[in-house]
Amino acid sequence: MLSLADLQCSVARAMITGETEPAAAWLVGGARPEKRLDIHLRHYEASLTAALREKFPACAWLAGANVVSAVACEYVRARPPRLLCIADYGEDFPRFLANDGRARTMPYLESFAALEWAVGRVSIAIDHPPISWSDIGRMGSERLLDSTLSLQPGVRYLSSTWGVDELMATYLSGIEPERFVLPESDTFIEVRGARGAVHLTRLDGATFTFRRELAAGCSIGYAAGAALDRDSTFDPGEALRLLAHANLIVTTSAQANAP
Amino acid sequence: MRVAVATRAERSATSSRLAGVGLRLPHLAEVAAGVPTTAWLEVHPENFLANPHARELLLDIARRHSVSLHSVGLSVGSIGGVDRKHLKRIRGLADEIKPILVSGHLAWSTHRGMYLNDLLPLPYTEETLRVVAAHVHEVQDALGRPYVVENPASYVGFATSTLTETEFLAELVARTGCQLLCDVSNAFLSAANMGYDVYAYIDAFPAHAVAEIHLGGFTREDDEATPGGHILIDTHAGAIAEQAWDLYAYALRRFGPRPTLIEWDNDLPSFSTLLAEADRADNVAANALRQGHEHALAG
Repeated sequence: MLSLADLQCSVARAMITGETEPAAAWLVGGARPEKRLDIHLRHYEASLTAALREKFPACAWLAGANVVSAVACEYVRARPPRLLCIADYGEDFPRFLANDGRARTMPYLESFAALEWAVGRVSIAIDHPPISWSDIGRMGSERLLDSTLSLQPGVRYLSSTWGVDELMATYLSGIEPERFVLPESDTFIEVRGARGAVHLTRLDGATFTFRRELAAGCSIGYAAGAALDRDSTFDPGEALRLLAHANLIVTTSAQANAP
Repeated sequence: MRVAVATRAERSATSSRLAGVGLRLPHLAEVAAGVPTTAWLEVHPENFLANPHARELLLDIARRHSVSLHSVGLSVGSIGGVDRKHLKRIRGLADEIKPILVSGHLAWSTHRGMYLNDLLPLPYTEETLRVVAAHVHEVQDALGRPYVVENPASYVGFATSTLTETEFLAELVARTGCQLLCDVSNAFLSAANMGYDVYAYIDAFPAHAVAEIHLGGFTREDDEATPGGHILIDTHAGAIAEQAWDLYAYALRRFGPRPTLIEWDNDLPSFSTLLAEADRADNVAANALRQGHEHALAG
């Protein structure tokens, strides 16, 4: 008798590859039970491709709904979910979409899709109580440089060689322009959102580097050094003050490690 | 582990309003804003674990309404085991919203780290019983409460099965102390698809363990497995079928009053449409229970 382990291997393979014949030997239901297994297969593909289409409506607007749907179907086969919450599924879809032959005429598509993913993620975030500039000022400069910061969960930093933020703003406005010229230029974007609201802010390169490194968990000293490498006139103290005034800082490692 | 039954759900079942509705994300803000709703609501925890804003709204709703959790990802039938990290996250949510019930499916959906996002069928054998019972024990130990296991919607069975579905469920209850969720629509469509008598199925269903009933819409399609035949698909994309309402009345006369959920997940209508279905469920229940009482008196 087929063990449960072997049976589940066989059915799981059928779900991923679409080859239902091997599993069908053990099934009953109708004259051709493998066709009944197709119902599960169809649901698996349809539910996940629908989830991806819902997450990337701007890409469908830009590249065509048929292209996004077709690529989503291939993505589901190639990258089955590894997490049990479908909200988390699709983080690497932007690269997968951009690598598809049908999207090669749009070199900005990967950046645009990555921006759309970020917009979706921050829109479901909630703001945490921020710490104030005076709280940071009390830390002392020596401790400050070695400290790390936790930023609001609803903030992401993305860079592109295209002005994809303008394109996204156009999409979000709901107004269809007769003509849109997508500027090819280094673009540094802060995506901030909470409770359904999203704001896109274009930053200068040094500020972007500073904030991105902090968001990645680097120390204030390291982030300041990286920003100064990009722009020697960068003022880390002022950048930190602006970050606090934007209510973006939630905790500092100095606070977390305090006795 | 043996666990006590969920008393809040039983108390609500003795009231005249048994029906609740499945609360899906598109209706969340509306319900959080205070629109009138049913006696209780049911949510899929997986929709809230990775969505902090939705979770915040759910916590607010749970302060004012009874809520149950219906997991679609616990996968107690997977040979590879229950995802303990996921189970812990569900426990965390349960600690916050204090649900009246926590339920899930007699099915599997994970395999070697992959999530297959469907409720896949199990053969009803002693081996499967051992696997499912061990996982139900694990879930109950983690949650500190009985897990409520739902009968599946079936399109296929297994030649290797040695037990009927109701025998399997009865034995699972005996081994774990779990409770059961009788999805009347699943029972109806499984019987139609697999060719057995659904009323005999309800007669054999372990009535003492039923903690909840589900009613959901299904869709009739051509059965590619049987030329000229039809198959019913558990789409939750429409109103409850008349045959399912009849079966619901029959089930209530057998089980007694039970919290009953209207499930509608796809082609989601307005929230008021869901409330109308819940009202109908309450009316069907009131009539069925009155008739059952009269029959008992006449007998």
